[in-house]
Amino acid sequence: MSDLPYLTDDERDRYGWQLTVRGFGEEGQRRLKAATVLVSRIGGVGGTVALQLAAAGIGRLVLAHAGNLRLNDLNRQLLMSTDDVGQQRIESGVRRLRALNPHVEVETIAENIDESNAARLVARCDVAVSAGPLFSERLLMNRAAVRQRKPLVDCAMYELEGRLTTIVPGKSPCLACLYPESPPLWKREFPVFSAVSSTVGSLAAMEVIKLIAGFGEPLAGRLLTFDLGDQSFRTVRIDREATCPVCNDRA
Amino acid sequence: MKVRVEYSAQLRTALGRAAEDVDLPDAATVRELLIQLAATCGDDAAQHLVTDSGDLRPSLLVIVNDVATPARRNASTTLRPGDVVTLLPPVSGG
Repeated sequence: MSDLPYLTDDERDRYGWQLTVRGFGEEGQRRLKAATVLVSRIGGVGGTVALQLAAAGIGRLVLAHAGNLRLNDLNRQLLMSTDDVGQQRIESGVRRLRALNPHVEVETIAENIDESNAARLVARCDVAVSAGPLFSERLLMNRAAVRQRKPLVDCAMYELEGRLTTIVPGKSPCLACLYPESPPLWKREFPVFSAVSSTVGSLAAMEVIKLIAGFGEPLAGRLLTFDLGDQSFRTVRIDREATCPVCNDRA
Repeated sequence: MKVRVEYSAQLRTALGRAAEDVDLPDAATVRELLIQLAATCGDDAAQHLVTDSGDLRPSLLVIVNDVATPARRNASTTLRPGDVVTLLPPVSGG
């Protein structure tokens, strides 16, 4: 603990409501301050992850998302504003984060995850969050996280449903145990409300906070499914695939 | 025997219902359930269950008894009367 950064008086005041959370405390807050989290895409899910982590006092956010904001992103991309339509999404998003918490370092990468950057970006974080719509990106994040033994929170949703799991290399199945390849029928535009994407994002942010601060029980080896249609939440077990080409070959 | 089948995401949309009871021969397997459903549920829903060549969709997750497993891995799991089987087509973030 001695090599963790100390909190300033201003930070103790800012985080006062969470410093008394059982199992968290000042040491948990100092762990957050020392941590770097990579978020792949800052749309409806990842934008909420980033917002929650900024509010919680993560030391450094690395945010990766290419492209410009479109009007039809605004039903769920809560970091952005109507005035930002047509502007680079990542720069729009970061303004809100910096305004919320200037203690948080925010690094923006105007790229989506691909073969050329996945390993490099994952190497820079302590925990990664996969919040994009493409299975190819999620599977690249998964492979990089497993190889580098970094925890990865993987997020998904559809209509009023959400799904979430946390991959802890060496302890849990990985995404490729469930999805060995990009499913051919998946379409990247699908029905969803912000209330659903931001629920998934908030749940994912809580996973990150628990992983870094070392309390609670992350979803390693479990899949959370929920349906806001009837407000049912359920966790089920997921198992490693013995022949998984990603996590079976890890060193 | 009857099992309860719950449909998620694109399957629920294609079928227009969230769950139903399905009649199966005693000791039917997950594979037999999925093949029977695919034969009777219409093409929109069936494509999420089986591929064009009739194999189970590799990315379909099937929850039986609180364990979620890709359909290809629990195809031979034997079902019992009253089991609840939840079918989860692949979905993603955004």
